[in-house]
Amino acid sequence: ICLWCFLRPGAAGQGQSTAVCSPSCSCDEDGGADCSGRGLTTVPTGLRAFTYYLDLSMNNITELPAYVFKNFPYLEELRLAGNDLSFIHPEALSGLHQLKVLMLQNNQLKTVPSAALKNLHSLQSLRLDANHITTVPDDSFEGLQQLRHLWLDDNNLTEVPIGSLRHQANLQALTLALNRISYIPDNAFANLTSLVVLHLHNNRIKEIGDNCFAGLVNLETLDLNFNNLMVFPKAIEALPKLKELGFHSNDIASIPEGAFHNNPLLRTIHLYDNPLSFVGASAFQNLSDLHSLMLRGASMMQDFPILTWTNNLESLTLSGTKISSIPADLCEDLKLLRTLDLSYNEIKELPSFQGCVQLQEISFQHNHIQQIDRDTFQGLSSLRLLDLSRNEIRVIHRDAFLTLTALTNLDLSMNSLTVIPTTGLSVLSQLKLSGNPQMKNVLTAKNLPKLRSISVPYAYQCCAFVGCDSMTSSSEENDVKKSTGGEDVERISMIMHCSPSPGAFKPCEHLLGNWM
Amino acid sequence: EGPPSCPKGCERCSEFNGCIKCKPKLFIFLERNDIRQIGVCLASCPMGYFGMRNPEGNNRCTQCKIDNCEACFNRNFCTKCKEGLYSHSGRCYVSCPPDQRTANDTMECV
Repeated sequence: ICLWCFLRPGAAGQGQSTAVCSPSCSCDEDGGADCSGRGLTTVPTGLRAFTYYLDLSMNNITELPAYVFKNFPYLEELRLAGNDLSFIHPEALSGLHQLKVLMLQNNQLKTVPSAALKNLHSLQSLRLDANHITTVPDDSFEGLQQLRHLWLDDNNLTEVPIGSLRHQANLQALTLALNRISYIPDNAFANLTSLVVLHLHNNRIKEIGDNCFAGLVNLETLDLNFNNLMVFPKAIEALPKLKELGFHSNDIASIPEGAFHNNPLLRTIHLYDNPLSFVGASAFQNLSDLHSLMLRGASMMQDFPILTWTNNLESLTLSGTKISSIPADLCEDLKLLRTLDLSYNEIKELPSFQGCVQLQEISFQHNHIQQIDRDTFQGLSSLRLLDLSRNEIRVIHRDAFLTLTALTNLDLSMNSLTVIPTTGLSVLSQLKLSGNPQMKNVLTAKNLPKLRSISVPYAYQCCAFVGCDSMTSSSEENDVKKSTGGEDVERISMIMHCSPSPGAFKPCEHLLGNWM
Repeated sequence: EGPPSCPKGCERCSEFNGCIKCKPKLFIFLERNDIRQIGVCLASCPMGYFGMRNPEGNNRCTQCKIDNCEACFNRNFCTKCKEGLYSHSGRCYVSCPPDQRTANDTMECV
C-alpha cells in the first residue's frame, strides 16, 4: 500500500492541513509551490516535505549546490526553466526518487549534467532545450530507464548524440531540432524501438545514411523540414508505421519511383519548397490514408502520378509540370476528391470527372485545353469554383454546365471563345469572360439571376447588365423594376459590378470593336 | 532588461496588447482577457499548449490537438493525459485497446 499517498493531502482527500509555504512562493493545498518569477538566486527554504510540484522558473538561480532538494522526497515535477543555470552539482538532484518531470530549458548549460541525472529512476520527461549544449556524454541518460520524452532542441549540437541514446528503449518522443547537425549516420537511432516522434527540423542536414532510421519500427512522425538534403531520404524505407513526414524547405530535386512503398500509413507529406524537377509516377501509389498531395514546380515531371489505392485523397495539387494528359480513370480512385488544382501544366484534353462527385473547386488555369465536352463536368453538383482561364478553349458544349447547380465562380477569361452556354448556371455570382476577343455578341443576364460580378471582352457588353442610360459607375446600386407577368411590381435591389464599365469614351453602341 | 514598463522576459510591448516580442528563446503566449489578447513571455507553455521553436526566434505556444491531454510534445503527441486516463503512442485512452494491457504505475498501455 502506498503509505505516503494517504499522507499527501489533497491527492488522497485526507483532511485539509494549512499549507506551510515559503514567503517567496505561493502554495496550494495539494502540495504545489509556485515560486516563479520572484528574482530568487537560490532555492527557497521553508517549503513542505510533501511538495510534489515546485516551480522555480524565470528566476536568477545560476547554480544548484549538492543536496539542495533533499527535503522533497515526493517531488514529481521540478521546473527550473528560464534561470541562468550554468552548473548543477552531481548531488544536486539526490533524493528525488519520484521525480517525473524535470524542466531545465532556457538556461546556460553547456553540457548535459549527466552525473546529476543519474539516479532519477522515475523521470519520464526531461527538458534541456534552449541551452548551449555542445556535448552529450554517452552516459548522460544511463539511469533514466523510464525516460519517455526528451527535448534537446535549440542547442549547439553538431551531431546526433548516438551513444547517449543507445539504451533508451522506452523513449517515445525526441527533438533535436534547431541544432547544427549536418549528417545522420546509419543506425543512429537503432535501439529506439518505442520512438513515435522524431523532430530534426532546422538543422544543416546535408546527407543521411540509407540505414540511418533503422530500428525506428514505431515511428509515426518524422520532421526533416528546413535542412539541406539534396537527395530524397531513402532511409524512410525503415519506417513502416510512418504517418506524418515533412521534408519541405530542402534542396531535393527528385522523388524516385516507389518513394513511399514502405510507408503505407502516410497521412501527410510536406514536400513544398524543394527544387523538384522530377517525380516518379509510382511515388504516391497505395497510400490509402493520404488526404492531401501538393506538388508544385516539378518542371520535368511528364507523367501524371499513378494514384491507385491512394483513394482517400481530398486535395490534389499538381502544378508547374510538363503533364499533358489526365488519366481517364482518375475519378475511379479519387471519389473523395474535393479540390483539384492542375494549373500551369500542358494539358490539352480533359477526361470526364463524373466520378469525382465531391469536387468543390477545380483549377485548370494556364493549360492548352481547347474544348469542354458535354460530360466533362457532368454530375458535379457540389462544384462551386471552376477556373479554366488562360487556355485555348474555342468550344463549350451547350449542356456542359447543365448540372453545376452549386457553381458560383466561373473563370473563362483569356480563351478563344465566341459564345458560352449559360443553362444550368442558376446560382452563378461571378463570371469572367475578358480576354476572349472573338466574343462580340451581346450577352444576356436571362439565365444568370444571381450574377453579381462579370468581366466581359467589350464595354458595350456591360450594358446588358448595368443599364447604361445612367452612364454612372457600374458598381453603384441600381433599382431595377421587374414586371412579373402583370403581378405587383417586385423591386429588386441589385448590386452588379461589370468591367470594363461603359463610359463617355466607351459608349454602349458597338463601334469599331473594342475601343480600349 | 526590456523597457521598464514591459513584463518580464519581454523585449517589446504595447499598453493594449502586452508583450509583442519576447526575449530570445522564450515563448509568447496570448492570454485571453475578455475580447483582448495579452502577450506574455514564458519559459514553458501553460497546460494544454506546447512550445514551437523556430530559428527566427518568434517561438510561440500552440494548442495541443489531442483529446483528454494536459501536456503535449507536439500537436499530435500527448506527454501527460488527464487523471485516470491511459496513454499510448502519444494518445489518451479511457481504457487500453484490446491488444494491450494496462501499466498502472505509469498509466500506460503496453
